[in-house]
Amino acid sequence: MEELEVLFRLGPFGITRTVVGTWGIMLVLGLGCRLATLRLSVERPGLLQTALEGIVQTIHGAIASVLPEHPDRLLPFVGTLWLFAVFANLLGLIPGLHAPTGDLSTTAALAVLVFLSVHWFGIRASGWRRYLHHYVAPSPILLPFHVLGEFSRTLALAIRLFGNIMSLEMAALLVLLVAGFLVPVPILMLHVIEALVQAFIFGMLALIYIAGGMQSVADRESPTPPPTGNTP
Amino acid sequence: MNIDWTTFALEIVNFLALVWILQRFLYRPVMDTLRARREGVERTLAEARASEQRARALQVQFEDRLAEWNREKTAARVALEAEFGRERARRLEEIEQECREEKARHAAVEAHHARELQRDLETRALAQARRFTAALLARLATPALEERLVELLLADLGSLGEQQVRGLRDALADPAASVRVTSAFVLDEALRARITDALSERLGTRLSPRFEQDPALLAGLRVSLGPWHLQLDLADEANAFDGAARHGD
Repeated sequence: MEELEVLFRLGPFGITRTVVGTWGIMLVLGLGCRLATLRLSVERPGLLQTALEGIVQTIHGAIASVLPEHPDRLLPFVGTLWLFAVFANLLGLIPGLHAPTGDLSTTAALAVLVFLSVHWFGIRASGWRRYLHHYVAPSPILLPFHVLGEFSRTLALAIRLFGNIMSLEMAALLVLLVAGFLVPVPILMLHVIEALVQAFIFGMLALIYIAGGMQSVADRESPTPPPTGNTP
Repeated sequence: MNIDWTTFALEIVNFLALVWILQRFLYRPVMDTLRARREGVERTLAEARASEQRARALQVQFEDRLAEWNREKTAARVALEAEFGRERARRLEEIEQECREEKARHAAVEAHHARELQRDLETRALAQARRFTAALLARLATPALEERLVELLLADLGSLGEQQVRGLRDALADPAASVRVTSAFVLDEALRARITDALSERLGTRLSPRFEQDPALLAGLRVSLGPWHLQLDLADEANAFDGAARHGD
């Protein structure tokens, strides 16, 4: 894998295409949302407002289906994960642009943020003492396995998204080099589907991890089994 | 698969900034709008439920009032029927009283009419009797009958009471008083002398009466002593029918 070249430098920081692509996504999402929500109407919503409300309500409903008690608290983080992952995955379809999620630095950053958010929301939900206590439950012998599981799923989260998006771009590039001009179109359609699926998987896993951290204490006191972070 | 730590750190910062941007420009306004719409719907539903409750309360109140009104109507109808019965009885009593009074008044009027009719019949009967009597007496009037009537008058003169005789004497005490004897036929001298003697003897003074003739007397004699009249003649007797008819007896 080639190393991304630095486009320009801001002081000591070298700005790569990944960062520029991320800024572009931030600019598009920020301006688009700002313009779309300038004139929200309670009584007569327009087509764009209806679409925005549908997206937000879909994300809110998905969070509520996993964690009915705190959908509003998780909406900004998980919703942003989904939206950013969708735009970042699809950005590679535009010729000359690079998908930020095709860079391990981005997926690792997102995975680390998910890792931290699991503990952040877990401690906020049940207190740090009770939260940390679940690592030694039901037996302290399981502590190493819990810690190993935390790191391994974070690593898997980063590698999975990076590997899928990188491989899609690589495959599209190889098909474009080997075949004719219109041959990569099916591959690009597969790219779109795979990008959406990977974005959904990444966000849903992050949601399940966070819900598991928030419900780890309460679940020991209730008969309902906690949601598990199965790796697809 | 190298990690550029600068990119790593910048991506963390970028993502957190994107979280803030989307929270400010997407999630919060959209959720506020949805919340406002939901609150509006809930408010509308609450108002609808309140309206429904008010409507039900009004329905219950209306049904209660309707039942109360029915009870009042029934009671009012019973009272009205009782009042109507009393009023009808009172009016019937009044009508009966009026009928009785009207009947009594009518009976009085009928009795009055009957008396009037009887009086009228009597008057006409008396008038007819008078005409018949007058006609009969006119046919019976003769000097002999007049002489007989004179005899009767002279007999009646002897049976006058002292009070009447004293009244006649008081009348003759007036110098302007005159004694006049009127008859239907011409009296002969003997009869005139008997009449003069009888009057003078009964009144205790010598009289010189003036004798006159009036055929309207039919037969008989009239003696005028000042304002007093002593008479026994057929015309006077016939006129007695008229007097009896006028006085109803």
